[in-house]
Amino acid sequence: MTRTLDVTGLTCPMTWVKAKLELERLAPGDVLTVRCRPGEALENVPRSAREAGHDVTVQATSVRIVRR
Amino acid sequence: MSGSRRSFLRDLTSAARDVVAAATEPPARTSLSADELERYSRQLVLPEWSERAQLALRRADVLVVGAGALGSPVAAYLTGAGVGRLGIVDADTVELSNLHRQHLHFTPDLGTAKAHSAAAKLAFLNPGVLVEAYQVRLEEANAAGLVEGHDLVVDCSDSFATRYAVNAACCAAGIALVEGGVSGTSGLVMAIRPGESACYRCAFEEPPPEGSVPSCAEAGVLGPAAGVIGSLQALEALRLLGGVGEPLTDAFLQVDLATHAFLRVAVERREDCPDCGGPGPVRAPA
Repeated sequence: MTRTLDVTGLTCPMTWVKAKLELERLAPGDVLTVRCRPGEALENVPRSAREAGHDVTVQATSVRIVRR
Repeated sequence: MSGSRRSFLRDLTSAARDVVAAATEPPARTSLSADELERYSRQLVLPEWSERAQLALRRADVLVVGAGALGSPVAAYLTGAGVGRLGIVDADTVELSNLHRQHLHFTPDLGTAKAHSAAAKLAFLNPGVLVEAYQVRLEEANAAGLVEGHDLVVDCSDSFATRYAVNAACCAAGIALVEGGVSGTSGLVMAIRPGESACYRCAFEEPPPEGSVPSCAEAGVLGPAAGVIGSLQALEALRLLGGVGEPLTDAFLQVDLATHAFLRVAVERREDCPDCGGPGPVRAPA
């Protein structure tokens, strides 16, 4: 399953809170693409996702997270 | 009651009612509202916490026995964290000598019932929590009725008689329990899952002889020491309710804040324990 989440209207830490809760609802191997605003969110979301053990790739302002 | 105190309490009650009335839409049953997401964001962001844990906490019905030095941090943290319902039991009234360590009560509360004083502050803290005040002393005779229907009891009482009554009632009803006690600069915390782990009476078979242990009034207590023990109790309660981490079961934590020593002491469940090991099945916790 692939889901998309837009957090461009949010600030940290709500950006990662939203992404984390969405990931909790997904199964291992599912993909969540998070659209972030450049700056703090685009730094924090991928970093937090990596720290949580997920596979992360960043393309422009989209963070692709494969749930572990 | 003096006029100024009456006026303070009237204002406080009225303001608390307004806060409750202004609370946002009732939360959906299976997800968190935007307001809840923001309120609980700093715990939801933790790797060990989750939406599932938060929802479990919201469904939980907790009883805090004692609205004093331990009950203040326990009730405040559980209310802040988003427990669904919180009952608070205390028969006493607020005294001047309480205020250095019982931080849910303020100087204008002197003479009022601690249960109601605490409930008013908790309603301010989190209007999403249903807080119920019981101005009654928990004793052997009423313990079963008071703990009935709760998912968890946190014992913040200051007497051995109450502690043993709470333990027996929770064991009989199969209700999870967090025990705690503080004196001077030392204290103790223990999490109990009746029927699964050692209970307070497995650890301490009999109360100490009457008069052998100084009361709080005789021994004294430093406010922050009670705060540490109460905070540890609240943490254990969150672990049990949220189903996260390893609760402090089959052991108690002995804390000596004079020497900064934390000692975890293993406890085994006793088959012959009159509270949790005797005849008559202990109901397994849900």
